[in-house]
Amino acid sequence: MSGPTTPVLQVRDLKIHFATREQGVTVKAVDGVSFDVQAGETFGVIGESGSGKTTIGRALVSLLKPTAGTMLHDGQNLAALSANQLREARRAYQIVFQDPSAALNPRQTILDSVCEPLEIQGGLSRIEREARAIEALGRVGIASEYARRYPHMLSGGQKQRVNIARVLTLRPRLIVCDEVVAALDVSIRGDVLNLFAELQRDFGLTYVFITHDLSVVAHVSDRVAVTYLGRFVELGPTEAINEAPLHPYTQALMSAEPVALPSHLRTTQRIVLEGEIPSPIDPPSGCRFRTRCRHAQAECASREPEWRELRPGHFVACHFAKS
Amino acid sequence: MLEVRGLSIAFASPTGFTPVTREVSFSIAPGERLGVVGESGCGKSVTGLSILGLLPRRHSRVTGEILFDGEDLNRMSPDQMRAVRGRKIGMIFQEPMTALDPVFTIGEQIGEAYRQHFPVSRAQARERVIEALARVGIPLPARRHDEYPHQLSGGMRQRVMIAMALICEPRLLIADEPTTALDVTVQAQITDLLLELSSTQGTALMFITHDLGVVAEVCTRMVTMYAGEVVEDAPTDEALLRPRHPYTSGLLRSLPRLAPRKAVLPSIPGRVPLPTEMPAGCRFRERCPHAAPGCEGEQVLAGIAPQRSVRCSRAAALELPGAVA
Repeated sequence: MSGPTTPVLQVRDLKIHFATREQGVTVKAVDGVSFDVQAGETFGVIGESGSGKTTIGRALVSLLKPTAGTMLHDGQNLAALSANQLREARRAYQIVFQDPSAALNPRQTILDSVCEPLEIQGGLSRIEREARAIEALGRVGIASEYARRYPHMLSGGQKQRVNIARVLTLRPRLIVCDEVVAALDVSIRGDVLNLFAELQRDFGLTYVFITHDLSVVAHVSDRVAVTYLGRFVELGPTEAINEAPLHPYTQALMSAEPVALPSHLRTTQRIVLEGEIPSPIDPPSGCRFRTRCRHAQAECASREPEWRELRPGHFVACHFAKS
Repeated sequence: MLEVRGLSIAFASPTGFTPVTREVSFSIAPGERLGVVGESGCGKSVTGLSILGLLPRRHSRVTGEILFDGEDLNRMSPDQMRAVRGRKIGMIFQEPMTALDPVFTIGEQIGEAYRQHFPVSRAQARERVIEALARVGIPLPARRHDEYPHQLSGGMRQRVMIAMALICEPRLLIADEPTTALDVTVQAQITDLLLELSSTQGTALMFITHDLGVVAEVCTRMVTMYAGEVVEDAPTDEALLRPRHPYTSGLLRSLPRLAPRKAVLPSIPGRVPLPTEMPAGCRFRERCPHAAPGCEGEQVLAGIAPQRSVRCSRAAALELPGAVA
């Protein structure tokens, strides 16, 4: 089923809704998202809180069940597998989370934490597991003398490296990186991003890089999807989105990013958005961004914008966007 | 207006007092917007708290002078300090939800802050609060007045904190990472609001943040702290363009936005030394690509140009890259 050109991920009309305490009222966290991720690619997902980006990431690694839509991993539908088959299959699709401390058990040594995924997968002896863990730790730049230490004895950057080593032991094809540098200090962010790039080159990894940080996503991604209220509003090559964003939301988002340049070199005119993201329980009709959009017209409320390919590989959901 | 001189802070530990900042000095002129930048643990937040007299007296030791309009805040009694805090110096913190009391309405809380310093009736205070809410851009202020914190979004709560901090028209506002917990588009709204309020009301700002982009937009001057010391003090644009301390330069160069896409990002190797293991001489030495013999000697914060000072004995010899390499 999976040939050399089969995308690592094929996601079609993915919907993830959560029930609330009130009967019949659901939070539409993800509400119809489609995309492919090619092997060896870094696919960036950018969005603000409540946009659904984290929910997408969790669904990609089978931590959440989609309400509707399909997802194929290397051409295979994981949802159709039995529990045992799923455990075996999902080792290829891993996730690294934002808070490196919360992801490690404070009462387990680094070595035990890194061995744990292999233990769950089974099939290796303790000695083999430890050897592979030490190898993975070395690969992410954690010296073997740290293996017997506990998480609190490591810095934030080191802990995040341990979390990366932990997923590497499973030799995954795809890693979902959910805000992996957000909790780190600026001076070590670069180090960790460099490590991700290096591992990608060495192991041919595919990344889905989820973040709210425009500068990070612009740096690491080949393509970027911009999420707003459970939908994609724009998707395209990073450079194209960076240089000429098509959707009014992307334009506002990019203009809001504070850039550390002296005043005479800061050129972008800020587009200040009014208000905040509406509730995903009852999203606006038509275009979901229309309530905050300075170009909104009557049509935006009555008709949902189509997903149009305005430039090659560059899609946008806006009635009025022009290439 | 504010002049901090030789401020050193130490926290009690089982083995005595551990110094966390050393000889911090800087000043803020009326209406000036000063950014204090540095990474976690550099001492920027405790410096802000010490100015407000908010460090626990029993468990901390603050030495040095904090002169506000010529009076030393560090020598004031708790009662005297209460008359300054909130009235002459306002404050906002990172997490508006933890700073607000969930069981009182927005209006009650802001009103309490106002009535602490001005003897007015509840009805008069209410009017003032509604005005203050309107001024920070909260829609339907009269209705919001009677709502509880959980009914507001993160951005609105931070606006409430700003309204509370500014209702007594303080001359200085200390803002500790006020936009860090907010989304980018909301952050833009809040920084614009702070800029506007500071210029229309002449409020001076001490803006504590790790985000150099925010400092570039908001602050006219920038103090960089590292391992409990001020390492550089300069007008923001100059510091960004031509930093004189290797740490400031390293911080700037590690920003992904300033590097070509997918390029290897420069980073600062190693980590900040622990307060208990502070090396003598330059505290940045072990991570510094420019370290040389002489760096293990005492480093002083020395003036190198008008309005610029740096704590690096090699500063004159170094040509350091800034935001534009």
